[in-house]
Amino acid sequence: MNGEVLFFVLRDSFWSAIAAVGFAILFNVPPYTLPACALAGAVGHGLRAALIALFGMPIEAATLLAATAVGFLGELLARHYHIPRLVFVVPGVIPMVPGVFAYRTMLGIFEMTGLADLSAVEGAEVLLQTAVYAIRTGLILAGLAFGIIAPNLLFRRQRPII
Amino acid sequence: MAYTFRLFCNIMLGAYPHGSASTRNLKQLDKTMTEELEDGNGKRPLSHEELTDIIDLCLWAGQMLLQYGANSFRVEESVHRFGTGLGCDWLDIIVRTESLTITASSGGEFRTKTRRVVGLGVNMARMTAINSLSREVERGEVDRYEARQKLQEISTTSGNYNRWVIVGMVGLACGAFSQLFGGDWRILLITTVAAGVSMFVRQEMHKRQFNPFIITTVCALVAGLIASTSALTRFSTAPEAAMTASVLLLVPGVPLINATHDFLRGYMSNGITRGVLGLIISMCIALGLMIAILLTGVSI
Repeated sequence: MNGEVLFFVLRDSFWSAIAAVGFAILFNVPPYTLPACALAGAVGHGLRAALIALFGMPIEAATLLAATAVGFLGELLARHYHIPRLVFVVPGVIPMVPGVFAYRTMLGIFEMTGLADLSAVEGAEVLLQTAVYAIRTGLILAGLAFGIIAPNLLFRRQRPII
Repeated sequence: MAYTFRLFCNIMLGAYPHGSASTRNLKQLDKTMTEELEDGNGKRPLSHEELTDIIDLCLWAGQMLLQYGANSFRVEESVHRFGTGLGCDWLDIIVRTESLTITASSGGEFRTKTRRVVGLGVNMARMTAINSLSREVERGEVDRYEARQKLQEISTTSGNYNRWVIVGMVGLACGAFSQLFGGDWRILLITTVAAGVSMFVRQEMHKRQFNPFIITTVCALVAGLIASTSALTRFSTAPEAAMTASVLLLVPGVPLINATHDFLRGYMSNGITRGVLGLIISMCIALGLMIAILLTGVSI
């Protein structure tokens, strides 16, 4: 059982590392930071998968924790390479961006416009589904952003310049 | 009484050389009280021409940061560092997603200038270069002329990666997403091809200056059509993973993350603007995918 979960998480980490590197290249990061971007991607999505698989955590909460981990990892990497944290953190959390939820929301909206009978039960179902997708998209995004800037919010409370 | 107050102001300015919001107000008050009084930070008052040059450099740096996908807080922080490092006493910066306004002041002089900012193309390497330049300027290692030259160099550096490397790796990244959604190796193959072709179309359309929303819709349509062939040719019977993963290269990850980042940092209107941009791009993706579904009859 545990071995299965471990394999699942490792497989998940492997593919999300590749996804993170792909997006890092799209964002034109300096080439020597690519391994660090891969690490950030693997840690983020892998940790989220592990939290969901092991503790049955809802995806929103797991995303918040995983993104916070990526934020702190980014802080360490930024100190090591002396470049802004965003270079590692943004490709690192990109695999967790709720793209599927976002456009399932949009597909739901399109589907609603095509309903023939507004009083039908299926109409209510589509509406509810779409609303749930929209809310989950928003919550996951909020979790991601909070996780990314958690190190700043917690440790750099005095704005140094502005 | 006035003397005590001035002493208090100087102590405050000495203690906080960059000035927080409260010391800043005191500083301005101090300046109106005695015009001749030397600045607490010991900077030489700049001439009108120098201010013009500095504000131009600041606008240039800020404009590039905005275009390359920096969030509002980073733009404001870096531009401020740039301006004060080049000799200004203070900068007031209004960051909006489509324009940048800066007031730079030094001694009794001040200048305000606005610049229009259009286009978004995430470029981490250039963002990093501008950020480290702003730190060099802050430490006083780089003067105005050198800063201008370096900004020119940064704005003309070519990308780190060959366009075919980008096509291949972005395709593979979407293939990786299809694996995260539980596809098999056939799905991996078809998703990689679909996303790669879509990325190629995106590059070509971008080169021809198409509207970004049209680019997104067309690319989603292309990716959806290629991904749906997996079901039409019975290459794989589960096209959902391929259809959903192959358009993920278009997901506006950076605008959406920046939107929430801006909200948390207090840039409310910028957060709304970026959020709506992300929403419209998501809608374009859904529209393109929808057209592909209608054309091929594959259901996801």
